[in-house]
Amino acid sequence: MNPRDRLRSVGRRVSDPAEALAQQAAERIVPMVVNALDVNELMARVDLNAVLSHVDLDDLLKKIDVNALLGRLDVNALLDRLDVNALLDRLDVNALLDRVDLNPVLDRVDLDPVLDRVDINALLDRVNVDAIVGRVDVGAVVDRVDVNEVVGRVDVGAVVDRVDINEVAGRIDMDALVEKTDLGAVIARSSGGMASEALDAVRSGAVGLDQFVDRWVKRLLRPKQPWPVAPPALLPPRAEP
Amino acid sequence: MTAPTMETNLVSYQGRYAGSVSRLAAYAIDFPVTIAVFYVVLAVISFFAQVVTGNPIHWNKANILVGIVFVAWHLFYMGYSWAASGRTFGMATLGICVVRADGTIVDSRHAFLRALAFPLGILTLGLGFLGILVQREHRALYDLIAGTAVVYAWDARAARLRFLARQAEFGVPAIPAPTEAGPSAGSAQAAAAPEGAQTSTGSS
Repeated sequence: MNPRDRLRSVGRRVSDPAEALAQQAAERIVPMVVNALDVNELMARVDLNAVLSHVDLDDLLKKIDVNALLGRLDVNALLDRLDVNALLDRLDVNALLDRVDLNPVLDRVDLDPVLDRVDINALLDRVNVDAIVGRVDVGAVVDRVDVNEVVGRVDVGAVVDRVDINEVAGRIDMDALVEKTDLGAVIARSSGGMASEALDAVRSGAVGLDQFVDRWVKRLLRPKQPWPVAPPALLPPRAEP
Repeated sequence: MTAPTMETNLVSYQGRYAGSVSRLAAYAIDFPVTIAVFYVVLAVISFFAQVVTGNPIHWNKANILVGIVFVAWHLFYMGYSWAASGRTFGMATLGICVVRADGTIVDSRHAFLRALAFPLGILTLGLGFLGILVQREHRALYDLIAGTAVVYAWDARAARLRFLARQAEFGVPAIPAPTEAGPSAGSAQAAAAPEGAQTSTGSS
């Protein structure tokens, strides 16, 4: 047997209990020392500025994982304790906005999804269009419009197709047209003549006599119900209610 | 009733049942016309007969055959006129026309049926014409048999325009605004229907 090995085994037999004993002693002694120590007094005697001057804060901050730190931070609780109104009262928003260059911000904003979420109808309901139109100088607007170019782009044929010519013609006051224009003279010269004039007179005279006779016959017969005035197919269509 | 009011109201009578005076006046024109045409035709026949045979033909008015031919000609004239355009020459002059009882265009069958039934008005000693006065649709016996009626069909609107034009041209004071009554609301359409019916019938 090697003598060194023998010494080592003896040393282990002695050192192990001694180590355990030392551990127990340290556990009892350290609290006693700490309790007896006036930490505040001790800290008061420490020149913290001198200590901090020896610390390389940049190096220290580089070692801190800020993201992990923020991950452990309860932001909501922090915000709950924050008096936002007081903070805003102290904030000079105008000065802040004066320093903000909105153009690059707006360049980064995608307005389409924002506009998709806007209820244009509700927005327009709140707009006083009359007031806006009242502020518009229509004359100036019209002056800037090339009417000929606009008219050139209009499909007149399609517009005319949508017009009920018969309805328009029915609204013409022919009496006023004849009386107030030279149309009367044109008609008189083109369709005049003794024959047509005499024919009109004969026909109108006959109708007048027809009415006269008819009135007397009805006066004699006293019909209980009014007589029909025209065959069904020639009666004018009744107006829709 | 002043003249302007008469002219104004005439427009509203388009398509209405024609009265007795207009119809009588129309027949008063047609009858001499048919007689005149008949005599002209007889004269032409007589002339050609003399050219061919050398002997003139003398038509005796009392001859029953001539009377039958005249009646046949008279009825044919009316039937053909009604079938062709819904009106005879006299009716066209007075601005009236024959239509079916419902107001549609009269066809050839009803036109000739009306012509055949027409003598009943005379054969009943005039009673067949009484319906023109007292029947609610102013239809005579032959109208009831043939299923026809007579309506005003002249273009009173154009006549009214001519009347207004003459007023404007010759400085006559303007007439008051038209106040059409009865079925006059659609007088233009009511007037146009018979006119259009005559045109189409005439073209056919």
